[in-house]
Amino acid sequence: MTNSIEELRGAEVIMVIGSNTTEAHPQVARRLVAAVDNGKNLIVIDPRRTAISEFADIHLQIRPGTDIPLLNAMMRIILDENLIDDVFIEMRTENFSSLRDSLYTMDLNELIAITGVTAEAIGQAARMYARAQKGVICYCLGITQHICGTGNVESIANLAMITGNVEQSFTGVNPLRGQNNVQGACDMGALPGVFPGYQPVQDLETRKKFERAWKKSLPENLGMTLMQMTHSGRDGQIRAMFIMGENPVLSDPHASLVKETLEGLDFLAVSDIFLTETAELADVVFPAASFAEKDGTVTNSERRVQLMRRAILPIGKCRTDSDIIMELSKRMGYRMDYEDMAEVMEEIALLTPIYGGIYHDRLEKDWGLQWPCTDRNHPGTPYLHKYSFTRGKGRFVPAEHHPPDESPDSEYPFLLMTGRVYHHYHTGTMTRTSEMLEREAPRAVLEIHPDDAGSLNIRKGDMVKISSKRGSIEIEAEPTTRVMKKSLYTSFNFRETPVNILTNPAMDPVAECPEYKICAVKVEKVGHNE
Amino acid sequence: MNEKFILRKDHLTGFLRKLSKGHRLVAPVRNRYGDLMFQVIDSLETTDLDLSEQAQESPKAFFLPQEEVLFSYEASGGIYDFRPINNSEQTVYFGLRSCDISAILYMDVIFLRSPRDDHYMKKRKDSILISIGCNTPGENCFCNATRTGPFLEYGFDLQFTDLGDRFFVESGRARGDEIFSEWPQFFHPVTEEDVRLQYQLALEAKAGFRRQIHVEPAFSKLRDDAVDTAVWREMASRCDGCGGCAYICPTCTCFTIFDRMESTETGKRIRAWDSCTHAGFTRMAGGHNPVDMKIDALRRRFMHKLYYDYSAFRRPSCVGCGRCVDMCFGGVDIVKFIDIVCAGTRKRTRDSRRILGDLLLEAGLISRTDLEKALSRQADTGEALGKILMDLGLVTCAEILGVLSLENM
Ligand code: SF4
Ligand code: SF4
Repeated sequence: MTNSIEELRGAEVIMVIGSNTTEAHPQVARRLVAAVDNGKNLIVIDPRRTAISEFADIHLQIRPGTDIPLLNAMMRIILDENLIDDVFIEMRTENFSSLRDSLYTMDLNELIAITGVTAEAIGQAARMYARAQKGVICYCLGITQHICGTGNVESIANLAMITGNVEQSFTGVNPLRGQNNVQGACDMGALPGVFPGYQPVQDLETRKKFERAWKKSLPENLGMTLMQMTHSGRDGQIRAMFIMGENPVLSDPHASLVKETLEGLDFLAVSDIFLTETAELADVVFPAASFAEKDGTVTNSERRVQLMRRAILPIGKCRTDSDIIMELSKRMGYRMDYEDMAEVMEEIALLTPIYGGIYHDRLEKDWGLQWPCTDRNHPGTPYLHKYSFTRGKGRFVPAEHHPPDESPDSEYPFLLMTGRVYHHYHTGTMTRTSEMLEREAPRAVLEIHPDDAGSLNIRKGDMVKISSKRGSIEIEAEPTTRVMKKSLYTSFNFRETPVNILTNPAMDPVAECPEYKICAVKVEKVGHNE
Repeated sequence: MNEKFILRKDHLTGFLRKLSKGHRLVAPVRNRYGDLMFQVIDSLETTDLDLSEQAQESPKAFFLPQEEVLFSYEASGGIYDFRPINNSEQTVYFGLRSCDISAILYMDVIFLRSPRDDHYMKKRKDSILISIGCNTPGENCFCNATRTGPFLEYGFDLQFTDLGDRFFVESGRARGDEIFSEWPQFFHPVTEEDVRLQYQLALEAKAGFRRQIHVEPAFSKLRDDAVDTAVWREMASRCDGCGGCAYICPTCTCFTIFDRMESTETGKRIRAWDSCTHAGFTRMAGGHNPVDMKIDALRRRFMHKLYYDYSAFRRPSCVGCGRCVDMCFGGVDIVKFIDIVCAGTRKRTRDSRRILGDLLLEAGLISRTDLEKALSRQADTGEALGKILMDLGLVTCAEILGVLSLENM
């Protein structure tokens, strides 16, 4: 996030796009609701009628996968009505003319028709956002998990920049990161091309710095992406894997191919706190300690590094992740002698400029520090891009509509979207062992519009079979107007209905994020669930 | 009972040390994140008690833990061997608030009626309850409206009032008297001035509520089922079913029971907090839920808190602690709810800070000039308004009490 979660309170207009905030980010949703209660305006853009959309002044229920035409239509209206922020564009951005020219070549009516929303509603939303002194955009996986995810994000940035809604408090563009530490994992270099702190592995100076510190020569070529590793098939290039705390057999698209890939490995080790579907395929399983059994830090969506303390000793024979890594490393001939996590943090601070001032003793008090925090006296950074963008001037990159990789056809007439439920976390490896959470949400249901259900003679509670080109699963149907006609929705949290058997591994060419949100399927009734 | 003594503040630690011999001591402590929580005090030397405000959580979990093992079992050859588990310990609870005490009295009604709950009863029998009255009610508190605070007349073993450099301590039950007689060295006789000051502070506290509401009109509206469906719908649309309000509520006692298998032969029976805002609370095995959560997610909760329990036990199950207000992610606010329900029946809103003066004015007990004089003196001295008015000889204690309780009708 460029902003802090707390800052949402101060925005005049908040636009939420592709985020089921209430279920996925309740702490953010709570601020949105509070903002609405304080008279602020909320625009929600989502193909589904989500809980947060009920609080919106304007809900644009667009066809799945039409975010770029929608955003382009909004920008075109803003341009036509001269609601742009000239000064900001002039001083802080570049390449505006190419965006403008590209918007002028587009036919507004055509753009609007693609989205399936009325011109009036789009116009209202565009004006509301553009006229706000302080406008914030929050987006989530509904934006990124598309074949055109990068284009989607660039379009959001374009919209924020033409209206000058960045670089002051209570404005900005905020991707909501899931989980408590996805941001932290990326920060620490769990990406194919960077060392901790987004320092490129191909940069000689950087590499030398890490080589000196770690006393090992380091490869200069880029690593592989997750999708390359898990979808290369039985005879893929990678022969052995160590998977920590991840369950790709359920969470990755085209799950049968993932399973095949993992089964084809010469060696697989998995560490997790419970025996997951992925761990079941492993040659060696390390029982890992849970968050409550270890010290360390996590970094959340708003770049806030927070200290977590051990509450209980590890149960049974499980060991902390750091313990497992250090022990493995030692046996493989490289000693890692960290006394405790504070010492690891010191090394991070030494080698990672954005974490340069973050030490355990500074995290003791309050709620941690937000990076960049470059030295011991640096107070942290609540919002980014205060005086200039990371790359200097903000660059406009026009984007055009890019239809989903797989569109419904006569054989697979429905469009399936996936997401998650409130009560479960990811593939449910942890939450489904809680009796209460499991009782609250024991299974996934398939949301289907009542008209579609009617024409297929499907009633609530009926079991249906949904199939895509890649496979099929059986699932309970729930007719509801939360989804539009011809679109379906379900969650991927449940092993009994592994929906990623159906999803499409086609991905965005830049971010390599798969198109989880859209695949074409057909629906058949199989029986009634009693 | 109802004996009164003075305990000097510098003797508090010594007193608690005596009490904690043979007892576990539970009291509010601020943790490193700034949260004020009841916790077991191992050492009075290294732990600072914090009596400055209401604790974030009530002491409910000490009497009804979020998860409690009722018994464990072991099976061999088809025969089950059940082992009861005793989860209780002799405990002194110090620094409870009046709402906490009232909530425990309500839990007593639920768990000690027949059939009695032995697990709860054991914990209650093992407990000594020492409360401290609230001189300054918290931001969301409304115990004046539910008549469960800010000071109590009964329910506690001992009730403390902070008089500055000393505590005014009164006993509410025989157990309290026993404490007085067991450690007489800590307790000094009260003077007339102490009594007057305590009375004064208790009165002032009543006038210090920031949120003024009236529970009775809400009560009758709920009784007559006269709450607009739109209100229930609005509440339901805000509820995510997280259960937080019930978990934090000191009087929400609903629980569920499940067996946790540890191996094929051994396991535990567990009782855990439940909440009526969970869909699984009423959903039946076939998947049908007789409660439409889209409309009625909170209906039952508010009906219980403000009407059913009061009519069944003559005791509201909302003790006005205000904790659920901050808890809710959807902004469900029981105070606002009561306000909405009562809209129309309320006279007018007031600046609650000046309510005592206004009330006395309305009742014709003082003149506007009197009030202004008192208010300007208050601005100088910071003294309590009631005290100033009494010092000036304008009103009597009884008159103040009179208008305040009128206000509560
Ligand atoms: S705290 Fe709010 S969201 Fe959670 S159950 Fe209670 S009313 Fe519903
Ligand atoms: S309903 Fe809310 S205010 Fe009333 S006792 Fe429970 S938590 Fe406190």
